[in-house]
Amino acid sequence: MLKKRFTAFLLTLALAATAIPAGAAEASDQVLSVAVNAEIKTLVPWAASEENAFLVTNQAQEGLFRMDAENKPQPALCDTYEVSDDKLTYTFHLRDGIKWSNGDPITAGDFVFSWLKQMSAEATNGYSFIMTDYIVNGQEYSEGTAEADTVGVKALDDQTLEVQLKNPTPYFTNLCTMIMFFPVDEAFYESVGDQYALAPDSMVYSGPFTITEYDPAVGATFVKNDNYWDKDNVQISNAKVRVMKDAAAAFNAYQAGELSYVKLDSANVIANQNSEEFSQTIDFRSTYIQFNLTDPVVGNVNMRQAISHAIEREALTGFILADGSAPGTGLIADGMAGNAEGTFRELNGDVTSFDVDLAKEYYDKAVAELGSAPAEVKLLVADDSVSKSVATFLQSELDKNLGLKVAIDTKTVQGRSELMDSNNYQFAVTAWGADYDDAMTYLDLWTNGTPYRGNYTNDDYNALIADAKSQTDDAVRLDDMLQAEKLLVADDAVVAPIFHRGSAALTKSNVKNLIIHPIGVPMEFKYAYFE
Amino acid sequence: MVKYILKRLLFIFVTLWIIVTCTFFMMKQLPGTPFDAERFSIMTPAQQESMLEMYGLNDPVPVQYVKYIGNILHGDLGTSFSYVNQDVGSVIAGRLKPSALIGLQAVLIGLAIGLVLGILAAWKHNSGIDYLTMILAVLGVSVPNFVAAALLQYYIGLKWGILPIGFWTSWNCSVLPSIALSFSATAMVARFMRTEMLDVLDQDYIVTARAKGISQMQVLMRHAVKNSILPVVTILGPIVVNLMTGSLAVENIYSIPGIGSLFVDCIKANDYPVIMGITIFYAAFYMLVVLLVDLVYSMIDPRIRLTKGKED
Amino acid sequence: MRNEAIEDSLFVKVKVKAEEKEHIAAPASGMIADAWLRLRKNKAAVVALFILIAIILLAVFAPVFSKYSFSDTDYGSVFAQPNADHIFGADQFGRDMWVRIWMGTRISLMIAAVAAVLDLVVGVLYGAVSALLGGRVDAVMQRIIEVLVGIPHLIIVILFLMAFPAGVGTIIAALSITGWVNMARLVRAEILKLKSQEFVMASQVLGSSKFYIIMKDLIPNTVGVIVINVMFTIPNAIFTEAFLSFIGIGLAEPQASLGVLINGGYQVLQNYPHVLIFPAVVIVLIMVCFSVLGDGLRDAMDPQMRK
Repeated sequence: MLKKRFTAFLLTLALAATAIPAGAAEASDQVLSVAVNAEIKTLVPWAASEENAFLVTNQAQEGLFRMDAENKPQPALCDTYEVSDDKLTYTFHLRDGIKWSNGDPITAGDFVFSWLKQMSAEATNGYSFIMTDYIVNGQEYSEGTAEADTVGVKALDDQTLEVQLKNPTPYFTNLCTMIMFFPVDEAFYESVGDQYALAPDSMVYSGPFTITEYDPAVGATFVKNDNYWDKDNVQISNAKVRVMKDAAAAFNAYQAGELSYVKLDSANVIANQNSEEFSQTIDFRSTYIQFNLTDPVVGNVNMRQAISHAIEREALTGFILADGSAPGTGLIADGMAGNAEGTFRELNGDVTSFDVDLAKEYYDKAVAELGSAPAEVKLLVADDSVSKSVATFLQSELDKNLGLKVAIDTKTVQGRSELMDSNNYQFAVTAWGADYDDAMTYLDLWTNGTPYRGNYTNDDYNALIADAKSQTDDAVRLDDMLQAEKLLVADDAVVAPIFHRGSAALTKSNVKNLIIHPIGVPMEFKYAYFE
Repeated sequence: MVKYILKRLLFIFVTLWIIVTCTFFMMKQLPGTPFDAERFSIMTPAQQESMLEMYGLNDPVPVQYVKYIGNILHGDLGTSFSYVNQDVGSVIAGRLKPSALIGLQAVLIGLAIGLVLGILAAWKHNSGIDYLTMILAVLGVSVPNFVAAALLQYYIGLKWGILPIGFWTSWNCSVLPSIALSFSATAMVARFMRTEMLDVLDQDYIVTARAKGISQMQVLMRHAVKNSILPVVTILGPIVVNLMTGSLAVENIYSIPGIGSLFVDCIKANDYPVIMGITIFYAAFYMLVVLLVDLVYSMIDPRIRLTKGKED
Repeated sequence: MRNEAIEDSLFVKVKVKAEEKEHIAAPASGMIADAWLRLRKNKAAVVALFILIAIILLAVFAPVFSKYSFSDTDYGSVFAQPNADHIFGADQFGRDMWVRIWMGTRISLMIAAVAAVLDLVVGVLYGAVSALLGGRVDAVMQRIIEVLVGIPHLIIVILFLMAFPAGVGTIIAALSITGWVNMARLVRAEILKLKSQEFVMASQVLGSSKFYIIMKDLIPNTVGVIVINVMFTIPNAIFTEAFLSFIGIGLAEPQASLGVLINGGYQVLQNYPHVLIFPAVVIVLIMVCFSVLGDGLRDAMDPQMRK
C-alpha cells in the first residue's frame, strides 16, 4: 500500500519535472548567444571599465566610427570627416537622419555632452586620460581649471562636430571606436538622472541593437534596432550576452547548444584545437618582466640581457599556458598596427630572443662587473594563477640556463603595485593591455622615470617619443617608435617581454562573421549572420 | 512567551551589532583602496576626490563607522562600489528571488524524500531499504555539494540533456541546482526521521496499539509517523545553514543570479558595502530561522516550555 | 527494652583496604576498552577505521616514496591518463596526480587535525570551566557563546580570508574563531547533567574530594561526547577548506589541497574526467569514513544511543 503510494509520488515528481515545456528551446532558434565570464556590473558609460560592459555597449550604441574585421575604424554615425593640414583639427559630419531608438535625432551636441562627462570629475572608470591626453584643454577641464566651453570639442551645428587635438594623433579615429567616445542623448539623460543605464528602459540606443532585458548577474538581451541607420545590413534579430562565471559551465552550455560562442581555457584548448569550430586570436596585451634599474644586481645591463635571453618563451606558451598565447619577442603585441607593409612586430622583428650561449656570455660579463655572482634574486609577482605559473617557469629557466637562483615573492595585485610604486623590488612580472591600436600605448609608459617603470630615464628614448608625438609625417613617427622599442628592449633591456596573451574560442559552425577584436570593444554582433 | 521572544530578539540585535562592527573594522584593514588600484591611480585628483566623497571614505574611520551604523538603523545599507549608482539594499533584493526559490525547493525535496526514506527505513528496520537509506544518508552529507552540482550538470544537463545546464530563464533552470542543494538536507532528514521513528516504535503505546489488532498501516500512520515527525522541525536550523553555504558554490556553477554568487563576486571585487549588507542579511536570516524553529517547536510540543528553566 | 542477647561487643568492625572498596569481581574493563570491544562488532566502523588509517599512511608516505614531487612539471605528460608511470594520471602541467592527491590529503588532514586539537583544548576547557564554576562566570560565558552561535560560521571564515593572505595558516585561524563553540556547549551540557546524577552523589557520600570527582567521575564520562564531536568536527573542517578552495578564496596553486584539485578537475571534467574523479573519491572516502566511524563510536561509547 505504502509502496504504491511512494511509487506514485515518485512518478508525480518525475512527471512534474518533464511536463513543463523546455525553456531552452526558444533560445536555440537563431539567437546569437555569447557568454561572458563576469557580471556586467554597470553600463553607465563613464563608470564602466570592464571588457564585458564594453561588449554589451558596443552592440547597443555606436560612435563616430566602428571597427571592421581588420580592426580598422570605418565611419559609423559620422559620414565624412576632414583633418586640417597641421593634423590638429578634426571636423566630423554626422549622417543625415540618424536617430536614437526613441526617435530623437542624434546630434553633435550628444557627443559633446558625453565626452565632457567622460572628462569630468564624475567619470569613475579611469578612462578620462584617453580623451584628456589628446583633446585641447581636456586635462585642465578634468582638473577643474578650465571651463567646458574652452575644451576642444564643439558642436558647430547639429550635424558637425569639431575636435581640436594637442598633438597630431594618427590613431584618433581608432580611439573614436571605443565606448567612451559614444554619444549619450542629453535630453533623455536629463529626464532619468542618476538612474541612467541602470535598466533597459533608462537608456536610449544609437547602435545596431536595443537592449530589452538587462540584469548585471544574468546578462543582456538584444533585439535589432529599427531606428538604426544601417539596419539593412544587420542580419541578426535576436542576441544575448549571458553571464556564466564558471568556465567549465560555459563550456558545458556551449556543448549543449545554448551558446553560439565560448572562450576556452587552456585545458580545453588542447582537446579542441583540431575542431573546425576552433579559432584563436592574440590580444593586444603583453606580459613582461620589469627590471628595477636602481637595484644593484639587475641594475647591471648585462644581467638584464642575460635574463632576457635565458627564457625559452616557446616552452611557456606551448606547454604551460597553452591557450593560444604567443611568445613575446618584442614588447608590442603581434598584429598591432605598423604601416602598409606590415605590422609593427613584423617591421621591428625580434628585439629579444632565447639564446642560452648569448645569455651565458652576458651573465659572465655581468658577474665580472658585479664582482661576484648574486646568491639569489627576488621576483615579484601578482597572485593570480597565470602570473604564478609564469613565475614558476621563469624560476626554473633561470636556474637551468644561468644557474641563477630565483625566489618568488607573491603578492596581491594591490600589494605588488604598492611595492613597485615604492621602489621596493628587484624585478617583477607585470602586464599592459593596449588601449588603442598603436605602439604609443606602450612606449609612452617609460618616459616619466617612475619606480613602477623601473626608474628608466634615457634622454634619447624620451626624444624619440617626444618627436613621435608631435610628428606629422606618419613614416617618421613610425620609425621613431620602432627605434624606441629597440632601445628599450634590445639595447637597454629595461623590460624583458615574455608573452602576448592569446584567447582561444569555439564558434558554432552556423554562425558566420562574428568579429572578435583584440582591443577596445571585444566583439561585433552587427555583421554576424546565421547560415 | 512575549518576554522570551523579546529577549531573543535583543540577542539577535547584539549579535548583529558585533558582527557589523567586526566586519566593518576588518574591511578597513585591507590593503589598498577599495577600488581597482590601477584604474584609481590614473584618475585625476579631482576624480579621486569625488569618488571618495561619493562613498563617504573621506572621513576618519570612527566617523565612517558611526555614520554607517546610523544609516543601517534607518535601513540604508549604503551604495555599492561596483554596481554604480545602485544602493546595496536593492542589489541584494534583486538577487533574493532565485536564491529563495532554490533554497525552498531544496528544503521541500529534502523533506519529502528524507521523510519517506526515514519512515521506510525505520519501519523495515535492518532490511535492505534500511541499509540503503543509511548509505544514502552517509553519502548525502559526505559528498561535497559542489562535486554533486558539477556531476549533475555534466550528466543530466549535458550528457542526457534532460534539464537546462544553467541560466535563469524558466522554472526548469531551478531544478538541477535545487536537487544538488537538497542532498545534504535529504540525508539529514532521513537519518533524523529514522532515529525518531525507531524510538517511537519502541514505545509502549505502539505495542498496545498493535495488541489491539490495529493494522500495521494504521499503527504506522496514525501513531508512529504522527509522533515522530514533529522533532524534524528542530533540524531546520542546520539545514538552512547548509543551504546558505551550499548556494555559494552551486549558484556559480549554474550561473544563477542569486545572493550566494553575488557574495562571492563582491568578495573578489572588494565591494565592501555589498559584502557588509549580505553578511548582515545572512546572519539576521539565520538567527530568525533558529528563533522561529524554537517557537514553532514549543507550540507543537507541549513538553517544551520556553519561559521556564534553561534549555539544558 | 534492651535486648540482652545481642551485645555491642559482638560487632566487630571489618577492616577493608581502600582499594577494595570498589572492587569488582570480573576483570575491570575501562571505558576505552569497553568501547573498543563494542566498536569491533560494528563491521562498517572497523572498515572505516582501516580505510582511514590507510589514507593517513598514504598521505604521509606516498609523496615521500614517489619519484615525483607535487610541483614538478613535465610537459611531455600533460593530462596523461592513469598509467604505470602516473597511477592517477597527470594534470594540466603534467604533474603527477598521485603525489598531488596525497599532498592535498596531507593539507586536508592537517587542517582537520588542528581543528580537532582546537576543539579539544579550547572547546572542552571552555565548556568544562563554564559548567564547573557556574554562577556569574557561567552566565557571562554562556552569553558569549550565544552570540557566537548566531554567526553563520562560513561567512565569518570567508571574511577572515579576505582580510588576511590566503594560506593554510589563515584557514586554520579562520576555522578557530567559531569551530570550538559546539564542543563547548556539548561539554558544558554533559557536565551539568552528570553533576546532578546519582553516581556523583554516591561518590560525594563516599567522601571523594572535588578534584577526585572531576578527574575520575566527570571527565571520563564526557569522553564519549568529546570523541564523537571531534569525529564530526574533522570532516567539517576538511569540507570547509575544500569548499573555500573550490570557490576560489581558499588555497591556490601550486599548493595542492583537495579543494584546489577538485576545482582544477571540474574545469576539465569533459575531456579529462580522471583529474576530477580521483580527488573527489578521496575526499568523499575521508568524509564517509569519518562519519561512519563517528556513528560507530557513538554507538560504542553511549549505550543509550544504540539502535
